[in-house]
Amino acid sequence: MFIHLENICFTYSLGMPFETEVLKNINLEIDEGEFIGLIGNTGCGKTTLIQHFNGLLAPTSGKIYVEGVDLNKKGANLKLVRQKIGLVFQYPENQLFEETIYQEVAFGPRKLGLPEGKIEKRVKEALKMVDLDYNLYVERSPFSLSGGEMRRVALASILSIRPKMLILDEPTANLDPQGRDNILSEIKKIHYNFGMTVVLVSHNMEEVAETVKRLLVMHRGEIIIDGTPQEIFEKHANDLVKVGLGLPQVTECMHKLKAKGKDVYTGVLTVDDAEREVLKKMKKPIKR
Amino acid sequence: MRILRNISFGQYIPRDSLIHNLDPRIKILSCLAIIVSLFLITKFSGYLILGSFVLISIIISKVHPKFVFRGLRPLLFIIIFTLIIHLFMTEGEVIYQLGFLKITREGLVKGLLISFRLFILILTTSLLTLATSPISLTDGIERLLSVFKFIGMPAHEIAMMMTIALRFIPTLLEETEKIMKAQISRGADFESGNIFNRAKNLIPILIPLFVNAFRRADELAIAMEAKCYRGGEGRTHYRELKIKKTDILTFALTIVTTVTVSVMF
Repeated sequence: MFIHLENICFTYSLGMPFETEVLKNINLEIDEGEFIGLIGNTGCGKTTLIQHFNGLLAPTSGKIYVEGVDLNKKGANLKLVRQKIGLVFQYPENQLFEETIYQEVAFGPRKLGLPEGKIEKRVKEALKMVDLDYNLYVERSPFSLSGGEMRRVALASILSIRPKMLILDEPTANLDPQGRDNILSEIKKIHYNFGMTVVLVSHNMEEVAETVKRLLVMHRGEIIIDGTPQEIFEKHANDLVKVGLGLPQVTECMHKLKAKGKDVYTGVLTVDDAEREVLKKMKKPIKR
Repeated sequence: MRILRNISFGQYIPRDSLIHNLDPRIKILSCLAIIVSLFLITKFSGYLILGSFVLISIIISKVHPKFVFRGLRPLLFIIIFTLIIHLFMTEGEVIYQLGFLKITREGLVKGLLISFRLFILILTTSLLTLATSPISLTDGIERLLSVFKFIGMPAHEIAMMMTIALRFIPTLLEETEKIMKAQISRGADFESGNIFNRAKNLIPILIPLFVNAFRRADELAIAMEAKCYRGGEGRTHYRELKIKKTDILTFALTIVTTVTVSVMF
């Protein structure tokens, strides 16, 4: 077990006039090698929850263990935890500050006290992971890039500390469709090719559904559903609609077919799956 | 990160009270009157009366005293520092001696007087900002400053700058916190090292903060122009400030109290 959360509660501005309870009794286990989507409406506590994973926020009550270590025990090595769990914030391009992309990506490894040779190796490796050409980009200023490229540099600057687990907070927010597809396919590659544990935070059902293997649905500070996307879309479709998250369009289409009496499987995630399922259930296959 | 959340200066706490509903000009002028008389008083009894006056105002304002006194916290150091300096550095009748350090009666009196002065000063100004929304505060300042228009004081522009600055304090604090957290996640360390290292470690916060602030200022300027903002000349107000009976009574009471206190003590 990589991360283990026990009865986590969190209240913002405790004792102030604007006190708000953000997380209510969260219990969660994440194993190494998982690919998780965390989905929920804006303001449901997703960002607050993930900031507990690497000790940026301490829970009001409850316990968090990362590889068996209690994060809120005095003397817990949070630096080491933050090296194991790479957290990419929302709009990470807003944190860039160095003169060149090389320096930007080298910031993390340098803080780890690595020798220059190893730092260079890590920068090369990280830029390759996000599909940026090392020779073309290292000397450029991060502020001269396009929004999508800046975001990839920010992602590389986390990857260069070689975390075991990568958490991304709304990585596709404010990107054009192409930038969005690029980032998603890079995230998939990082998981499948490099075996990294990934938590993808989003409020967009379509993009999460076809990407992750396990889905956590949050609503008003609680995790209300936990399962594979297929299971959730098949069994909990009503709950999703009730909390206002909705289903991917293809899945919704399949549910409507089922409601009309067609015996189709509703746990589909992509248009291709849906096509196959529909063709299978048709009495006379259409000739193409 | 905790520090950023605890700044209460400039925070407005909405309540429905006599103090909240006063005309902002009256509140600002009353505060000025209290501050001036604070510097004229030379006796404890005067501070006692003025202090009670402010305390009663706090009670009337329905703002929890906890929030008003929270404003003292960042300045507590300065108050204690001045008290200590006065205790040991004033010449006079020695009442306690510890090695080469000696406390004098005059020093004790002077130190306490100055502490009281700072104490009441901070309480008064905290109450003003806690019980006045930033918008009406700047409205009041604009109207008060426009008295000086004849010497070329750009009252509206000053007020507009203040409004914008006040509006962006929470935004910038929030953003600083977010950038700090993001850089900590990247391995930055803001809590250890000597003072030079710590200063150097601020670069990863300051550069993104400035870049974003400039970008935001640029966007705001464009948005204002798109809404045809053209400065103060001929501009009307949605909420006109009007002096009510309670305003006059409160102001009269404040002036009577402060003048009496300053003259008699």
